[in-house]
Amino acid sequence: MIISDYTTIKGCSKEYWKLVGGSGLMLLAGLLAFLIIEINGHSITNMTNQIVWGTPHVFAISLLVMASGALNLASMATVFGAAHYKPFRRFSAFLAIALLCGGLAVLMLDLGRPDRLLLTMIHMNFRSMFTWNVFLYSGFVVLCFLYLWAMFEHEEWIKVAGSAAFAGRLILTTGTGSIFGVIHARELFHSAVTAPTFIAVSLTSGTALCLLLLVTTFHYTNRSLDFRLVRGMRNMLIFFTLMVGYLFVIEKFTKFYSPAFYDVERWILAGPYSPLYWIGVIGCGVVVPLALLFHKRIGESTKGIMWASALIIVGEMAFIAHVLIAGQAYPLQLFPGYEAASLFQDGQDGRYFPSIVEIMLGLGGVGIAGLIYLLGLRFFRLLPERVVAPAGWEPWKP
Amino acid sequence: MMDRRAVLGLGGAVAVGTLLAPGIRLLAAPQPSSSSVPNKTEALATQRWAMLIDVNKCSADCSSCIAACREENHVPMFGDADRDIHWIRKVELRDRERRKPTLSLPALCNHCEHPPCVHVCPTGASFIRKDGLVLIDEHRCIGCRYCIIACPYKSRSLVYFSTQMPIGGNPKIPIRAKGVVEKCTFCVHRIDEGLQPACVEACSRSGGGAMLFGDLNDPKTEISQRVKMLRTEVMREDLGLKPHVHYQGL
Repeated sequence: MIISDYTTIKGCSKEYWKLVGGSGLMLLAGLLAFLIIEINGHSITNMTNQIVWGTPHVFAISLLVMASGALNLASMATVFGAAHYKPFRRFSAFLAIALLCGGLAVLMLDLGRPDRLLLTMIHMNFRSMFTWNVFLYSGFVVLCFLYLWAMFEHEEWIKVAGSAAFAGRLILTTGTGSIFGVIHARELFHSAVTAPTFIAVSLTSGTALCLLLLVTTFHYTNRSLDFRLVRGMRNMLIFFTLMVGYLFVIEKFTKFYSPAFYDVERWILAGPYSPLYWIGVIGCGVVVPLALLFHKRIGESTKGIMWASALIIVGEMAFIAHVLIAGQAYPLQLFPGYEAASLFQDGQDGRYFPSIVEIMLGLGGVGIAGLIYLLGLRFFRLLPERVVAPAGWEPWKP
Repeated sequence: MMDRRAVLGLGGAVAVGTLLAPGIRLLAAPQPSSSSVPNKTEALATQRWAMLIDVNKCSADCSSCIAACREENHVPMFGDADRDIHWIRKVELRDRERRKPTLSLPALCNHCEHPPCVHVCPTGASFIRKDGLVLIDEHRCIGCRYCIIACPYKSRSLVYFSTQMPIGGNPKIPIRAKGVVEKCTFCVHRIDEGLQPACVEACSRSGGGAMLFGDLNDPKTEISQRVKMLRTEVMREDLGLKPHVHYQGL
């Protein structure tokens, strides 16, 4: 295997500054949205008392889920001994931190009272998944920093730090999935497979994002990337996407066995949010990417693999949006067996459409992650100039 | 002369101090003593406040409980159906087979024994008082809305708009803060003065007398006897939250 020296980029090209400017603009849009919401309250958004978590949460959770998945390449090399992904370890751990910062920022800025954020550090309720997530998120950032530190300065600690970060990412995404999975009141959230599904989705979307960024970064910085490694990542995507599909099927299979879930399952499959489920979650997240990746010609081309990766990321966001929005929109059953109606929309499907200000706030998180990544490329030696897979190594062909 | 490192260190210390000071002040804030408030009774761990609603006495066209609650607790109507705050609401219930007549009943916070809202609250802003009342410390709520997600009864509302204390309003009611979550308190300020919740009083005065309130743990109270003798139901019994609003006649 050939790995040339890790280098920073010069960062003086027009294209680089355009990307920095674009990310900066998204960050500014996010800050502006935050100020608008601060002044006007959440009434300026399209959130209601039925849909209390909206688009900012979709962005935030998607970024957090992708953050944990972004570490996958590094874990493959350090924990699972796939040495051919070794050149991407620094990039992978750094990207995880960048995405986590973006997601966390949106989550915090969307609070009803962000000025009271300090209270989460002073008064802690350890029965709350949110409290645990405060520790899991900050702990994950620390573990990724230690992992990076080991990679940059102390190679003898790489295995320990990398394994700790891998364990951290599993626990982190379990925590994120459990924010929803433990809520018994919501039929669409409550499931023992919610957290594992979040982990599987993080693996697909995180790896897909790594693949997209690696191919584009290597291309635009005139670096050389062995296409066999891209095909190796394609295989990972196939495996992880099949895992996501399996978890979706097993959940439906289990729920359709219980008459108590007939109504909610029918609502998911044929209700007002079914297009999001079928087109977004199943189509973009599972079926179309698999068809592209398994295709003899498309699955062997960089473009085809990149399209599949982009679709997987769209599918991940659709999955989070579906869990979050549809999960809240499904009416609560006050007395099972009875239909309810009231001035507070009891018994009605929640209506929600994202507002501009919510999209701006969500994009602010993407801007933060983008800026950190771009500045990281400029100031840290994250990627090598040239990566060639080991001689004779050939990835599996689907 | 201070060198640059000392200036930076001092600046950092001031920044950290500024950041932490409000929190330390919160930690050190003295607890109000119940003896300073006239006619104030102390919450007892032996008490369990509960409500019994006789559905047969609750008519669809009566909303005196809601009006009383809104007046007592200054619960505003914003004219935005999706974002109005509802501490108590009337719900029409119809069985799916259409065998029974449509029922109308008030729905409010159930002050559960195992409240999921309290379990999920990251700052402990939602808490259970000694006597079982589930309350919100509105100064500690960060507006994360996880409690609204966790409540199976839709009993909580986020305050979406700025509001003002009405002229001549009840001074015992905290000033409503935008961006925090609130809900029915069973009129805790009235309970502490030995009074009934405003909705219960209004129901017996100008409604059908459908609501009964009292200490479920006291065997002498009417509510404890009726809950013991009659067949009552609670919302979402299957969740095992042990709600304290019981319904009779469903």
